[in-house]
Formats: sequence, C-alpha cells, structure tokens
Amino acid sequence: MKCYLCDGEMQSAHSWRELFFNDIQEVACVKCKEGFLGMGGPGCRICGLPGDKLCIDCVRWEETSYRGVIGSGTSLFTYNEAMKTYLHQYKFLQDVLLSEVFAKEISASLKKEQAVLIPIPMNPEKLKERTFPHVERLLDAAGLEYVQLLEKNADIQSKKTKEERLNSKPLFTHNGQRIPARVMLVDDLYTTGTTMRHAAKILKEGGARDIRIFTLIRG
Amino acid sequence: MNELRDFLVGRIWLRSHLPFPKEVVDAAIEQGRVEVVKGITDRGECCRCLETSQDKIVSFYCSKCSKVCRYCRNCIQMGRVSSCSELVLWSDSPPPPQSIHSFAWKGELTVSQQTASSAIIRSLSLRQSHLVYAVCGAGKTELLFPVIFDELQRGHRICIAAPRVDVILELAPRIQSAFPETLLHVLYGDSPQETGFATIVLATTHQLFRFQSAFDVLIVDEADAFPYSMDLSLERAVGKSIKGDSPIVYVTATPSRKLLRKTPNRSEIFQRFHGHPLPVPQFASLWNYEKALLKNRLPEKLKAWTKSKLEKKEPFLIFLPTIELISLAIPLFKELHPGIEAVHASDDNRKEKIMALRNKEVPGVLTSTILERGITIQNVQVAVVGADHPVFTASALIQIAGRVGRASEFPDGDVIYFHNGKTLQMDQARREIKGYNRQGGE
Repeated sequence: MKCYLCDGEMQSAHSWRELFFNDIQEVACVKCKEGFLGMGGPGCRICGLPGDKLCIDCVRWEETSYRGVIGSGTSLFTYNEAMKTYLHQYKFLQDVLLSEVFAKEISASLKKEQAVLIPIPMNPEKLKERTFPHVERLLDAAGLEYVQLLEKNADIQSKKTKEERLNSKPLFTHNGQRIPARVMLVDDLYTTGTTMRHAAKILKEGGARDIRIFTLIRG
Repeated sequence: MNELRDFLVGRIWLRSHLPFPKEVVDAAIEQGRVEVVKGITDRGECCRCLETSQDKIVSFYCSKCSKVCRYCRNCIQMGRVSSCSELVLWSDSPPPPQSIHSFAWKGELTVSQQTASSAIIRSLSLRQSHLVYAVCGAGKTELLFPVIFDELQRGHRICIAAPRVDVILELAPRIQSAFPETLLHVLYGDSPQETGFATIVLATTHQLFRFQSAFDVLIVDEADAFPYSMDLSLERAVGKSIKGDSPIVYVTATPSRKLLRKTPNRSEIFQRFHGHPLPVPQFASLWNYEKALLKNRLPEKLKAWTKSKLEKKEPFLIFLPTIELISLAIPLFKELHPGIEAVHASDDNRKEKIMALRNKEVPGVLTSTILERGITIQNVQVAVVGADHPVFTASALIQIAGRVGRASEFPDGDVIYFHNGKTLQMDQARREIKGYNRQGGE
C-alpha cells in the first residue's frame, strides 16, 4: 500500500499482528512519521508544555474562575512544520482519510482509559462546512468509544486575539445527557487552553468530579 | 460577466472557489452560460483530474449531505473535489482572440535551431504533434519563439507547461519579453491571481487539471521530467487541457522510449548553440561517503574538489541524493566556506539562493535533484555525490551534466560523479553524452 502522506510505496503492508490481533494498521511511512515530534520529557501537569512545573499560562488560568476545572492532561505531539502540514490537509483541505494517521498512537494512549471520552464538538454550521467532525473521526479511527455531552455555540474562535479568547462568553452548552463522574475531554490541538477550560467548566458545574484533557497536539 | 468569462473559458473550477460574487455566478448559470457538473461522477471519476482508482477516490460519511459521499485525494491540494461539490465550466462563446501580437526577440537562431523551428511549424500547420529532442544548452526555448509567434498569428491559444515551478519561473520573463503585447498568465501552486483572458498560459503540469478543452497547442517542456513521466494522472491532464486532438510539442533532452514511439515528427539537435561539445562526466570513487558524513567527516576527494573551486572562485553545485544527507553535509561545507548554502524541494528561499549563486554572492550550493534542470549559471561546476543512488537515473545525470558549459564564454567545466560503486545508469548517462557529441560533431 501507499503512504497516506507522501504517496510513496510502504514496505510490509500488513504485519502478522495486524491480521491476527486486529491491530490498527499503520497508514503513513516511517519517514513521514519521523517528521512528527513527540512531546517527550516532563511537562506542565495540565497542558503538557515542556517544563517541570505548571506553565505560566496554566498558572494564569488557575488564578481565574476556571481554577481547578482541569485536573491534569496529556498531549502527544508538538506543533512542528510536519504537524502543521498534516493538520492543514486534514482539517482545511478536508482529507478525512488522514484521521487514521495517528490512530495507533491515540489508541495506545487511551484504550485502557477508565474515564468517559468526551470529544470537543463543532457547531452545526461549521460541521456542515467541514463535512466531518474531525475530533470524533480521530477517535473512530483509533477504535475508541466516546460520548457527546456538549454543543458548540456559534462562534468563530480562531479569528480572536488571546485577550478576547480569555474573556469570551461560554463556548459550549450541556446537551442534557447525564454527566459521568470521570471524564476526559479530547481535542486535536491545545493552543491557549480556552476551549478546554470552557468545556471543563460546564462539565464540572454539571457534576463531573474528575476532569482530565487529552490533545493530539500541544501548540 | 466578461470578467467571469475571461477567467472561466477553458477552465474547470470549483464553484465554491470562484473569485467572483455569488450573484454573478448564479446569473451566469441561470442564463446557461456556465455549466455545472458534479465533482465526482456516479462511476467514481473525478471530473477535474480524471482520477478513478479506489486508492484515491475515497468514501466518507458526509455531514453536509447526511449520507456517504466520495472525494478525490489526487488533486486535493487544489481544494477538495467531492461528489457533493460542484465544478463549473464556461459553455458560452469565448472572447474574441487578441488580434495584435508583436515579436520582439532580436536574437538569431543557429542553422540547426532554424531547421527544428521550421519543422515544428510545419507539423503544427498539419495539426500534428512534434518532438524536439535536443541536448541541454541547445537553445530550445529560443527555437520555440517563431513557433509561438506563428500560432499567435493564427489566433490560437497556447499553453507552455513544465513539471517544475523553477522552470516556469525562468521561462516567464523570457517569453513575456519576446511577446510584449501578448497577455500571458503564469500559473503554479500559490501563484498570484491573474486577470483577463490570456492567449499564452505558462503553467506547471499540475495546473493543467484545472483546464478543459482550452488550448489549440500545448508545448510540454522537459517532457521527460519527474513527476510527469511517472504520473499517469498528469498525462491525462495534458490530454484533457487541449481542444479535441490539438497538437502537442514535446521538448526534452532525454525522451523516454514511449515518447519516441508515439511522436514520429521529430527534430534532433545534438549540438549546443555555441557549437562546443557537452562536457563529459568524470567518475570518481568516494567509498562509504554516507558513513563519513554520518561521522561528520567530509571525504578527502570531495573536500579537495570543493576547495579547488573555492580557490578559483568558480560557482559550484553539489548534488546529493537525499535531504537528510544535505542537512548532514551542510555544516561540514560551511567549515570550508561559511557562505555555502543548501536548497531542497520544500525550501522557501530557493529562488533567492539560486539568484545569489548567479550573482556570485554565494560560492556554491548543495542541492537535491530539484535543480537538475532548467537553471543556467555562468561557468558553474558540478559534482554529484552518491551518483550511484537510485534517484540519479541516467536522464537525471544527463540533465545535471547539462548545467555545465552553457555560456559561449565558458563552454567547458567540471562534471564529476562521485560514487560508491559505478551503476549502469551512470554508464548510460556518459555513453549518451558521448553519443550526442559524436552526432553533434558530424
């Protein structure tokens, strides 16, 4: 088979494990995969930014009304050039198939997870425009179960400045379904942390006790 | 409406990507002047790039349509085409052809250039395709000038396509200054928006996906070059971009057997325009060069060669097979001279670095095969490190050798293939170059 990213021929299309244990198939070649940089080393307890204590951004969040809404978090990759190119093709060029590129890594990280996975949703208008829910597809590709508890309010976040993001109105609404005690919020990219704080706060107010976050990329 | 017409004639474009107000587009469709087609046919063919393979036309659950749709991965970089997206074409009459063209080129063709030029005009007047098989530095672009002018006077729309953006960018100013009154568009990956109806279109081969029944003649420059020769979808793009069975002029220094077979009308030029023979490549062993570079050591022979070029102040290009090796080697070369630069395919500053080499602001450049063709630098000296690597096919090696000795003031220079074991491709490249020189000398 061919690599989903560079279209180059891939060696050993299927491993025995894939055939017998129903493992997730690798769809990108070793060379393309090498371009992505894992977070590695110690990082901020909440957002994973490299360092040995809580990062400056998260310290600032902890001084606001969002204090304590997120217990801890994990991020898998850094936002380097290769990752920017990947995310551009996946989300903006709408190459849905690329949801499978990190399926192995996401599955390895989350398959033993006890908390209920909650993907960050898109608002219905945006979803129609993109034609697929990109976070849910990442989880689907990794073969993971999830529950949708939130609805995104109409708002285009990416055009705002950091200040505006910090002070913005609620981004999400609870959809009314029962909120479990232990949840893990899942998103593709963590940048300022606004999205995750807003989502976590709603769940906290709705009764969640232990809220953690997981993102594919730490921007 | 005329602006929409000028833009859309001969094109096939994503409706959602048109650079015109929605009302204008809607009105044109209403009046039947613009035709709308589904992005992917029911049979699973992409209407823009004609891709049909199941690897590239993939299904997904579409949240816009609430059903399973398909999209094309082959041409996705130009904006995604899916079964629920619409492509538009101009279906009304085209604008009247531009009637005034002038020919401002004042140079002179050699006898062999002149012969080839006239032969192409003859083929095109019979609406037949033609192959120009000419060595690097034969002056292929110049011999096309009279051909282009003849076509312009017939009121034809002409496209010149080349696989690489570097080649297009080098050709554009030369073509425009030869035909100063003719509207010319230059199209590549992120080219700036052009306006009006261009009689000459200069485009990378990929951009041809966006044309349909557009051209009366198509000139494919460097017709053998990667990715064109390996990519069936680009061959389809070429066929789709021309009107009916309009003729194609293939221009290359290294034609494939298939190309030779399918184009009986042919001109061959085995001599450079300045009459000097092509520099014949020398072979030099460079055992375990990869290991040496991995250990941060520059092999002695390569070091000596580079130093001698630095001393003589001769500009040089050193070709390496992979980007990894380039990044390993560049710090070592910078120890010899801090001004030495490196370029590769995804280098945003490629144009500037080449310019700096040309202006002697940079003594030499390490490069991937991206610079194997289309570039001219006076008195350039060339080395290939790892000439035995599979990326260096005979045709790539011939092209690389063709960078040397192009100017009549400096008709000679070094072409050296450093290798870790001679390959058939290297032998073939040298044999063919010697063959050209023999035939050119007759």
